[in-house]
Amino acid sequence: MFAYAVRRLLQFIPTILVISLMIFILLNVLPGNAALMAHGDQDTGRLTTEDIEEMKREWGLDKPLWYRYAVYLKGLVTGDLGKSFLRREPVNQLLKERVWPTLKLAIAAMCIAICLGVPLGFYSALRQGRMADTLTMIGAVSGVSMPQFWLGLLLMYFVSVKLHLLPPQGYGGGDLKHIILPAFTLGIGYVGLLARTTRAAVVEILTMDYIRTAKAKGLSEFLINRKHVMRNALILVLTTASLQFGDLMAQTVIVEKLFSWPGLGSLLVDSIFQRDIPITQGCILVIISTFLLVNLIVDLLYGVIDPRIRASFK
Amino acid sequence: MNKNLRKIVRQTNLLIGGIITLSVILVAIFAPVLAPFHPVDDADLMVSEEPPGAPYYLGTDIQGRDILSRVIYGARISLAVGLISQTLNTIIGVLLGLSAGFFGGWWDDFVMGLTNIMLSIPALVFALAIMALLGPGLFNVFIAMGFTNWSFSCRITRSQALAAKSLDYVKAARALGYGPIRRMFTQILPNIIGPILIIGTLGVAWAILLEAALSFLGLGVQPPTPSWGGMLSAAREQLFTAPWISVFPGIAIFITVLGLNLLGDGLRDILDPHTLNQRSL
Amino acid sequence: MKKKIIILVTLFLTVFLLSGSAYAVRKGGTLNFMAPYGGDLSTLDPTKTSRYQDYLVTMNIHRGLYRWDAKKSTPVLDLPESVEISADKKTYTFKLRPNIKFHNGRLMTSDDVIWNFTRIATMKPSSPSFRYINMIKGAKDLHEGNISTFTGLKKIDDLTFQIVLDVPIDLGYSLWFPAVVVFPKEEVERLGDAFSTHPVGCGPFKFVKWVKGSEVIIEKFNDFYMEGLPYLDKVTYKIMGEAASRDLAFKAKELDATIVGAVNYPEYKADPVISKNMIEVAEMFTRLVGMNPDFKPFADKRVRQAINYAIPSDLIIEKILKGKAFPARGYLPSSSPAFDPNGKKYEFNLEKAKALMKEAGYEKGFTVERAIGTANKSWGTGIYEATMPYLKKIGIELKIQMMEGAAMDARIRASDFDMFIWSLDSGPDSLETMSRWKSDVDVGSGNYVKFNNPEFDNLLNQAALAKTDAEKNELVKKADAIFTEEAPVWFFNYNKAIMAFHPWVHNLSKVAPEMMFQDLTAVWVDETSPRADDK
Repeated sequence: MFAYAVRRLLQFIPTILVISLMIFILLNVLPGNAALMAHGDQDTGRLTTEDIEEMKREWGLDKPLWYRYAVYLKGLVTGDLGKSFLRREPVNQLLKERVWPTLKLAIAAMCIAICLGVPLGFYSALRQGRMADTLTMIGAVSGVSMPQFWLGLLLMYFVSVKLHLLPPQGYGGGDLKHIILPAFTLGIGYVGLLARTTRAAVVEILTMDYIRTAKAKGLSEFLINRKHVMRNALILVLTTASLQFGDLMAQTVIVEKLFSWPGLGSLLVDSIFQRDIPITQGCILVIISTFLLVNLIVDLLYGVIDPRIRASFK
Repeated sequence: MNKNLRKIVRQTNLLIGGIITLSVILVAIFAPVLAPFHPVDDADLMVSEEPPGAPYYLGTDIQGRDILSRVIYGARISLAVGLISQTLNTIIGVLLGLSAGFFGGWWDDFVMGLTNIMLSIPALVFALAIMALLGPGLFNVFIAMGFTNWSFSCRITRSQALAAKSLDYVKAARALGYGPIRRMFTQILPNIIGPILIIGTLGVAWAILLEAALSFLGLGVQPPTPSWGGMLSAAREQLFTAPWISVFPGIAIFITVLGLNLLGDGLRDILDPHTLNQRSL
Repeated sequence: MKKKIIILVTLFLTVFLLSGSAYAVRKGGTLNFMAPYGGDLSTLDPTKTSRYQDYLVTMNIHRGLYRWDAKKSTPVLDLPESVEISADKKTYTFKLRPNIKFHNGRLMTSDDVIWNFTRIATMKPSSPSFRYINMIKGAKDLHEGNISTFTGLKKIDDLTFQIVLDVPIDLGYSLWFPAVVVFPKEEVERLGDAFSTHPVGCGPFKFVKWVKGSEVIIEKFNDFYMEGLPYLDKVTYKIMGEAASRDLAFKAKELDATIVGAVNYPEYKADPVISKNMIEVAEMFTRLVGMNPDFKPFADKRVRQAINYAIPSDLIIEKILKGKAFPARGYLPSSSPAFDPNGKKYEFNLEKAKALMKEAGYEKGFTVERAIGTANKSWGTGIYEATMPYLKKIGIELKIQMMEGAAMDARIRASDFDMFIWSLDSGPDSLETMSRWKSDVDVGSGNYVKFNNPEFDNLLNQAALAKTDAEKNELVKKADAIFTEEAPVWFFNYNKAIMAFHPWVHNLSKVAPEMMFQDLTAVWVDETSPRADDK
């Protein structure tokens, strides 16, 4: 198992290299540059052509693309992600401050999604094809198509403005009081997804031979559900949740902006709009690494849950 | 009544999903007949932000345009975004997956590597970057989304192709001397229509939602063309002062996404419960 | 002695009379304020940024030679207690106040001023603040590394120093801007890059904490040079770019004040409590649609005028902006000293517009293929949408291209557009503002519509040599009239900036160059504030 983990970790390297090259090229050919964005979204008319050229020189944007990529790679190897154009701060430092709040938010949201989605999906599968199934799915899907913006504002309005129960915005060191509303806003969208995955998994397993055998042997339905179905469904749910995790970390942007949450998502999108290439690259690198790591951990967890899969770790 | 038909009718998911999806498609096709006003040309600032009531049954937006008409015409744009981008995704995914599964070897490794990379880049970021690169426009929205969501159809197709390769009739076709391309398309493709269809319905829903997300960031379909996502995002600040402007396109998205999801689940239940267990939203 | 009395009287006035309230001034408490422009702050070192989002916080931590006086609407002395200006307006002799302390406790001397100006001129990568001091003698040579000392700056004694200029200009209009400030040298050297995130200044508030992307906290500096000020113990700037959540946070009393957007303006105005606690000002930003003369129809003045006549600006302001703007006459906003209230205004007149189009030979109209703009509600593509039905009446069709700011900025500077819609900075120095349209300014440097009018250039050149402000403004006014007549842009509006606050907040001021440039020194909260005793 250890050798397997190491092998998987080594496989990250080419993946990250390819992605970094793709992102690098994409970002560097985007129209517009950070010099133009240094002054915010209204035009102050105080930036001359010479100013722009000078800034580009200072940031090395006048050098050829391959050269810049080489510099970037060299930094990557030594763990230095460069310096932000506009903030003039090391990207490492910026990321360090922002990763934890986003991770916290993403984990909290995922917990909410799992706690609501899995039971719903389970229930739906047991009532497969009936009205209760459809109704449950309608409920689950409504979360998916509810724009985060609406949900966030509505929660703020009712919970904070009307009922004064929770603060309407802010980080507050990431305490429970401050995290509930943003995590809920973010998590609801994934409830439907997890419910549907769970439902599909359970439906599939219910038709399998060993369940039929179990039924035939006269085990009570409850016992069957709990023992066999749960364990098998868990693997599929874990897969879905882990595949979603990277997405979730990037999806935090709207929630972060709404609630002034000091996370990575808003940093990423701001940096794309400001063409602050080093930050964008850094953020994407972190998100992708998290995604890969989470998936590796989940793969390893399979082994814990299911002995048959463990046998395949060679 | 034959057994299969009965099975279909008993699936409320499939039934409701099918009806909803069909209705949305019909609305899109007959938009000019159904809409009481023109979605763009009938703008009148004098009736800006009218609440719902005759003759504007769903109210008007800030430009004084009839919301009902815009929602009806919006069905065309949102469905087009969903269908065209998902078709593009499916074509890319199927071609790559089919060839990877069929030829194997280094090509398989390469395609799978690419798939994993696509899976790990957040879709929103990728679409955002492509939109920023290509610039705005409906056509570019198709492209941006058509290249971001093919990894699932690719994976499924590949695994199906691998499984089908070992089936007797494919082996038989080979013995008969059919070329690889012909075998690929005539023998394997028909077998994967089911799962592809399921992924497709969900992908359309996914694309409609992604277009809405892009609109939030100001990179969706160009104004004044009515797309549901665009309408929703343009009026997001008026959620409390003039809720009808954003609520109705929001409901339209909800109904359509719901219909497509139910349809997808229903298809999965009757076609083959064993083929699909991963997400695709 | 006389000076001291004047200072005391001024202080007395600001503190007691102008607080404009029945309450006696109360000390203490926390103010929850906001940083509403876009995303996170980028730095707390104002010499390393040019974003208003950063300045609006740093101006309460750092101070410079001048500051903006909102009541007089002019720059006034800040760190110096007096200035003597030579007859040729080229030599300024400043005398610093003797009691200015940095947040680390050290007293400020003339050396600090000289060191900071030299730092701005020699910084690598170069400082965006440099443009505010580049008219000081020797600045450009120093910047390019030709010389090693700032020849235009001279220390006379510990509190007195001289600034010599290349050209005679009103230094206050350059230096009030919160980009040129005085730091304690030893802290900048000690902290290095970290100074940007842990600033030490000499302003009314000390830096406490910056939670990136969420909030900046500053607290009262007890040794601030103005005796007894500031009143507040603590200020929290909540970084909130989303108008909708700002609105809710304000209603939840989490924010003590908020900048009001068009969407909420009617609602706030109708609210019996909030409406009494709103301040409005004509901000010095002009919203307009620029027309590219390379697009053939726009080369014709009559077409450009026709567009100005064809669009009912007042109606669009009323309906789309909910009245949160002042209809534009010319380029300079109504709060500019060179604004001409009797100048020509393009009133909505469809017949005249049609006639002009006919005269220009475009009776059948044309299509504008590249109408570019951002998603902004007040100066974005939504405004194009509102004008479309009206332009259609004179045969003009628009094809809108919505994009994000960075892409649009690049397109404008590359002249890759037929029309652009934007908000341009138009104050407070009328001459400097107007000079962007001179024919020798290239497109990439601000003359986006390639305006070229010799008479206009001539008037501005004369204005630069004018002896008095009045004379200068008179000439600029004439130049603006020419600009308006030529109509290289569609004149849309000047922003009406509105700030709403809760009844317990006192002394916020109407800052015309930028409403969010709030000097919080004299702001106070009474005991009804939920944070009246928070420290």
